[in-house]
Amino acid sequence: MDEGSVTAPRRATLASLILRDVQFWVPVVVLVLGLLALRWVA
Amino acid sequence: MTALSESPAVYAAPVPDARRVRTLQTLGIMCGLTAGAWLGAAEAPTKLVTAGLSPVLISLVMVIGVFIARWTLPTLIHGTAYVAADLRQAPHLIVWAILAGCMWAVANTLTVYAVRDVGLSIAFPLWNSNSLLGILWGVLFFDELRGAGARRLAGVLGGALLMFVGAVILTLASAAHSAGANATRGVAAALAAGALWGTMYIPYRKAYLTGMNPLSFITFFTVGELGMMLVLALTSTGSAGALWGELSGARHLLFWIMAGGVVWVIGDLFQQYAVKYAGITRGIPLSNSNQLWGLLWGVFVFGELRGAGGGVLAKVVAGSLTMASGTALIALSSANEREHERWRAAAKREGDRYGIDAGYTTARGAGEEAPAFAARRTPLDWVIVIAATAILVGFAAIAQRPSIAIHGGWAVALVVATLGVLAACGVGLWRITRFR
Repeated sequence: MDEGSVTAPRRATLASLILRDVQFWVPVVVLVLGLLALRWVA
Repeated sequence: MTALSESPAVYAAPVPDARRVRTLQTLGIMCGLTAGAWLGAAEAPTKLVTAGLSPVLISLVMVIGVFIARWTLPTLIHGTAYVAADLRQAPHLIVWAILAGCMWAVANTLTVYAVRDVGLSIAFPLWNSNSLLGILWGVLFFDELRGAGARRLAGVLGGALLMFVGAVILTLASAAHSAGANATRGVAAALAAGALWGTMYIPYRKAYLTGMNPLSFITFFTVGELGMMLVLALTSTGSAGALWGELSGARHLLFWIMAGGVVWVIGDLFQQYAVKYAGITRGIPLSNSNQLWGLLWGVFVFGELRGAGGGVLAKVVAGSLTMASGTALIALSSANEREHERWRAAAKREGDRYGIDAGYTTARGAGEEAPAFAARRTPLDWVIVIAATAILVGFAAIAQRPSIAIHGGWAVALVVATLGVLAACGVGLWRITRFR
């Protein structure tokens, strides 16, 4: 099996792990709310 | 010629003994206090020149200073090869580092609006509530304070609350001195900044439990900061040309704001090590002692509260003592072995989830290095350090001397104290962990 075909599924797995991690989504949601707050106060 | 020796072999590092754990805890607490001194001092240079500059411009230039400073002294501690090797161990953490940087940039910009609308004395304690939110995330996600026992729980939570109360008292003392045409927006901005910073500690703790070196983390953290600030600045000014025009028009003042960024990045590095070795629950409240240092700079160097009545000064003293008591309580409530076991379990969960070498995670958690992890400094590192330093020197050369009056004697005293704290903690960090 060549490295390209091993690497692509691993990257996809890493991406799906990140997207299923609540520790990713909590900061993302707070960041979006922060940007909205900045838009309001600026 | 490769500058890096690295093998894929798994290294089974031993779990640190109780004495090493206590040493690392104490080190983390010292790092938190050092961070407080430097983060407090970081506001001082920016006070010199903020008049007439837009909040976004101030924030952008400070972030540029942070980005450049990251490539000076920190690169001499661990070079680019070390950082590259570290990132290969846990590449997923790049996402969290950039995310944290973006959050920091938005929060920092919000604070500039908060200071504009309600003044530093009100805004500062409000955004310093970030430590309370950080504690919540530390407990929920990383098992901090679990198994800590009632005494330590009371110490940390009580200490954090005392610090908050102290901050409020300081606010009441300074309320008469606050500017404030738009108090609602200013308060909202300060609270939003607190929420962003409090949540930003999730990526910090995640990275350090996994084993990443703080110097590696801040590499991409500063990329996130700079990227987000550029987007905000371009959105605010409307075009790259307009932004360039604003920067060019203020070029004689940029050095002072960048200097704030340089001071800030040193403080932030120590804050990162505080989170690594003492956890969010101790490291962040301790670094929030920056408010006390900021007060010293404001009162003694910049003459704030000059002419204030006895009642105001009494509140300042009371607020400062309350805050200092909270700091001491937290410093005396370091994690016991049971809580530290929970931290190791949380680290293992992170490592298992993302397929990280257990030996790497364990060794780094103990402030040690896996023996296969050896990276030499390359000529490129020296080129980077020299270039970054040259940029800062260049801006210093064209800087206009600020016209604000300062008390030189107190400024020197605080600079000496701040450098002394840096030297003491820096030596400790080197001796005990080699900045791992």
